[in-house]
Amino acid sequence: MENTHITNSSTGTSAIELSGIRKTFTLSEDKNAQQVLALDGIDLSINQGEFLTIIGPSGCGKTTLLRIMASLILPDEGRVIVEGEAVSEPDIKRAMVFQTFGLFPWKTVLDNVVFPLIVRKYPAQQTREIAIQHIKQVGLEKFQNAYPHQLSGGMQQRVGLARALSTGADILLMDEPFGAIDAQTRELMQEELMRICQEEQKTVVFITHDLNEAVMLADRVLLMSRGPGQVREIISVNLPRPRTEYDVRAHQEFVRVRGHLWRELRNDLIEQRTEEMV
Amino acid sequence: MKTLSRLETRRDQLIGVALFLSVWEVAAQLFDKPLLLPPVSAILTALWDLIISGELITALGESIFLLIVGLLVAIVIGFVFGTIIARSKTAYWMLNPYFSALFVTPTIALVPLVLVWFGFGFTGRVLVVVLAAVVPILFSVASGLRDAPGDLIDVARSFGVKGEIPLLFTVRLRAALPVLMAGLRLAAGRAVVGMAVAETYLRLGGIGGLIKSYGAVFRTDYVFASILPLSLLGILLVSGIGRIERRLKWS
Repeated sequence: MENTHITNSSTGTSAIELSGIRKTFTLSEDKNAQQVLALDGIDLSINQGEFLTIIGPSGCGKTTLLRIMASLILPDEGRVIVEGEAVSEPDIKRAMVFQTFGLFPWKTVLDNVVFPLIVRKYPAQQTREIAIQHIKQVGLEKFQNAYPHQLSGGMQQRVGLARALSTGADILLMDEPFGAIDAQTRELMQEELMRICQEEQKTVVFITHDLNEAVMLADRVLLMSRGPGQVREIISVNLPRPRTEYDVRAHQEFVRVRGHLWRELRNDLIEQRTEEMV
Repeated sequence: MKTLSRLETRRDQLIGVALFLSVWEVAAQLFDKPLLLPPVSAILTALWDLIISGELITALGESIFLLIVGLLVAIVIGFVFGTIIARSKTAYWMLNPYFSALFVTPTIALVPLVLVWFGFGFTGRVLVVVLAAVVPILFSVASGLRDAPGDLIDVARSFGVKGEIPLLFTVRLRAALPVLMAGLRLAAGRAVVGMAVAETYLRLGGIGGLIKSYGAVFRTDYVFASILPLSLLGILLVSGIGRIERRLKWS
């Protein structure tokens, strides 16, 4: 299984290619306010079918980077190329999964999953079938007509996942999707996500602040460094698939990669504290 | 306290009304001063007379028409200015004090001005209703749009909703709907008051006109008989909106 990823990546064009991405934010609405550099010259190539996790200290610009990949915001400089084409608007090739689930509270599960298809003006009968198929895929067929507030956090994020899958996008952009879910549900959902993405050959960019999760899921882990946001390191994780948390944790490769990432992350955090004290 | 079923609540309310009316009737008969307190039976006779003569229907039609036109104008103005002060801080700071002042000023105090500017005509009466009702709508639009959940805007955009106007309708307004309905409910209550004021203090007409003209000739039974449909109208309007409001809530 590991090998298919490598073959995919070496033949086709990249799923996403970033070159020279730079983004600054103004802190307040005041025109003379201080400019903050959020991302400084990010170059990155994500292979088709690859699972890339992004980790870094808070405020390092992870979410900004993902929002740029989703074309929700535009970089000040640099280019985003998706499957060979430069992009500046959200499109059907990319689908997002949000940390706070992002479900419309006034829509049922089915209507939430159907939403992107309706926006893209798919024929009505087809949208329903596609949506139901993906609701089944995440195991929520009994809850089609439930409203989000009637579901647990884990179930809500399954809806978020079903919605992203229903678009048929090749690329899933996930912003700490399991961050607000309890630990046990999270492990189950990690396994399910890996299974689905492998079956459907999805390219995934997955932000997390959980080191175990980052290593467990990834083909490669991107470690970002804080202010200005830069790529500090990209590490390949050579663990066999399918993976389960139970098997992987004790694996030598897991321990090595996790240990390395933690040392790097720790240095960054300590530097930050020292700067703050000065 | 024991919780009551819907049916039991209705039954208790009916018993309450019956008790209240009986006490009123007996007290009025004993007191025997129909100018001050007409008995319920006299009020009902007066009400029947108003219905038969067609006076009440005409008046009610006139009042409801005024109310609806006034509310619609208030909704349009409320939406436009509510959206403006929700989207622009400058507009908010410039306009908000005037709206707040209008909100706390009794509508009746503005009647002489409306009279001078617009005379006794329909425009003036509509304006009084609008002045009474517009601010709650405006404020609810403004706060509903300001609190629009940013993540849902991102969701809609990421799945292909493009442009401010489609976003306004697919997300912002829908998310604000429960707040908007609460504002509308408040506005409807105030609009009924504005309507009565307009009909009493500008040109006489509608239900307000009935009340005023029967009051002027000391027919207290007819005054009560005219107040009753006015209150019913207000109650129906407000509770109808409240019902829709509860349906639109999601938690």
